[in-house]
Amino acid sequence: MPASATGIEVGKAQDGGAFVSLTGALDVRTVGAARRDLVVKLAGVLTEPLSVDASGLDSADVSGMVVLWELANGLVVPGVRATISGLRPELEAILATYPSPDEVEAAISSPAESAGIHSLGRGALSIVADVRAMVEFVGALTSALVAGLRRPRAMRWPEVLRVVEKAGVDAFPLVSFVGLLVGLIIAFEAAQPLKQLGAEVFVADAIGIIVIRELGPLITAIVIAGRSGPALAAELGMMKVNEELSALETMGLDPLRFLVVQRVVAGTLLAPVLTLYSVALGVAGGCIVMGMLGYPFAVTWAHLQGAVHPADLLVGTTKGVVFGTLVAGLACLRGLQAGDGPAAVGEAATSAVVSGIVSVFTADALFAVLTYVLKI
Amino acid sequence: MSAAASPGEAPGPMIRVEDVTIGYGERIVMSGVSFEVRRGEVFVILGGSGCGKSSLLKNLIGLQKPMKGRILVGGRDVAAAEGDERQALLRSFGVMYQSGALFGSLTVHENVRLPLDEFTDLSLRQRDVLAHTRLKMVGLGHAGRRMPSELSGGMKKRAAIARALALDPPLVFLDEPSAGLDPVTSAGLDALILDLARNFGITFVVVTHELLSIFAIADRCVMLDASRKTLVAEGKPRTLADSSEDQAVLRFFRREAEGAQTDRSQPK
Repeated sequence: MPASATGIEVGKAQDGGAFVSLTGALDVRTVGAARRDLVVKLAGVLTEPLSVDASGLDSADVSGMVVLWELANGLVVPGVRATISGLRPELEAILATYPSPDEVEAAISSPAESAGIHSLGRGALSIVADVRAMVEFVGALTSALVAGLRRPRAMRWPEVLRVVEKAGVDAFPLVSFVGLLVGLIIAFEAAQPLKQLGAEVFVADAIGIIVIRELGPLITAIVIAGRSGPALAAELGMMKVNEELSALETMGLDPLRFLVVQRVVAGTLLAPVLTLYSVALGVAGGCIVMGMLGYPFAVTWAHLQGAVHPADLLVGTTKGVVFGTLVAGLACLRGLQAGDGPAAVGEAATSAVVSGIVSVFTADALFAVLTYVLKI
Repeated sequence: MSAAASPGEAPGPMIRVEDVTIGYGERIVMSGVSFEVRRGEVFVILGGSGCGKSSLLKNLIGLQKPMKGRILVGGRDVAAAEGDERQALLRSFGVMYQSGALFGSLTVHENVRLPLDEFTDLSLRQRDVLAHTRLKMVGLGHAGRRMPSELSGGMKKRAAIARALALDPPLVFLDEPSAGLDPVTSAGLDALILDLARNFGITFVVVTHELLSIFAIADRCVMLDASRKTLVAEGKPRTLADSSEDQAVLRFFRREAEGAQTDRSQPK
């Protein structure tokens, strides 16, 4: 329906200044136009002293009154503060509720950004605090794990199986897809340069070593960190937001023993299985490419047997165990560290992915150094 | 004075509910519900937990369509309105949700300013002043810079009321404004609602089951009953409490459990 407009009349007052007379409605729908109209009409008029007669206003609301507030504070004609008269008491009361311009400024301006050195210090401190939290968590988790293994009956195995199913079994399609493609890609990429050297048949050797020792465990860990890590962190984060963790604590149940141990055990058990599965598919992908290059399966198999040693499988599986424990443990830590509110759950999930991937690559680098030194 | 505008300007009652049936899928929550909300009054929808108060509210504000019947807000059918008409109708009233529903990524000040940012052509300074004024009105002038997660439950509700009032709507819906609040904060909210209703002519529809609040603010109320799945009483709260002939209504107002005497302050 059409809004009744604000009537604005501007003229010269007897005292040599200017007057503004307002009539009609001054509300949320008319205020924008009224403000523009006022500026146009006041332009070129001698405006000091400026008086405003608001007795003709039929209706007004808080939004509409902002123009009167601007007039009174010298914000329409810069520096000229108007005297407002004729307001009905209830409108007078609204105007009195308005803050001063300085008050608004103080209420919304953000505190001054601190100098770079301060943020550097704060950043360093937060890293130290994070490392400290991780060390404490590892300690508490180890103690809870040992306690859990001493009393396996108290382990809540159904919960472990549930997590294995959610984080492991349900991840099989993705692991299959990624594992097979990794084998295919490596084989194709290796075939080209090896062909130039007349050593195409050694693609099988390369696949065996690269997939079993390195890419199989790494890709599987990344899949778990990206797919299951955030789910674990979000689940625990949500429990924290919903005060379920507080409820456990007040019941005398340690969340670490009751929730985290099961998830870490599940991660530790499922990662090597998924790793072996992914390795098998990667090798299968390599065999497919070898077949396409014209090598019979027996030749490929013989090369694989020659290149891959039991130690390689041991290294790959051990990596799986370590990566699985790291990803699950860190995801649980991030979930427990979640702040308040739904946004914190999202942050915990993101943080779980980041810490999971960083820790997996760091551990992989350590493995590389260790296996080099130990000549495994 | 009446500062209210559109749909406040249309003649007739502010809200007319005509023989409405509400439900989810096959399940009927209530049926045969009819009542009117007059302009400028504080109207309370009350009833025990699970009786469908919040479902009725969802229908009144157009988030859900009634299975049968019509709901007219300012003379316009909420469920039938579509496109721009629906947007205009939705903007013409403010809603405070039970949890506050403040946007977590914005500061409290920005939350209150958001409707002004989106639907007015005011300058940033004007919008800032108006948002801060709203926050001052609900006693949160000091909290504008905070994030919603840093507010207590009562503060969130007050900030949500400030946001609901941002566009000076003639009609405001409040879902459980005093649930979970201490008596002092709750009384403060009641005073704020009365003040806004009396001084600005705003019509309030309040969903609550807090007896003290109902007596303090309600001009009229309707009561819903879960077992009969319909509206069982309509009128002034004091009249219903004193002279209703319906046992469910009397039990509600006297805070009586079915067949039990629970007031320990009364001598036996």
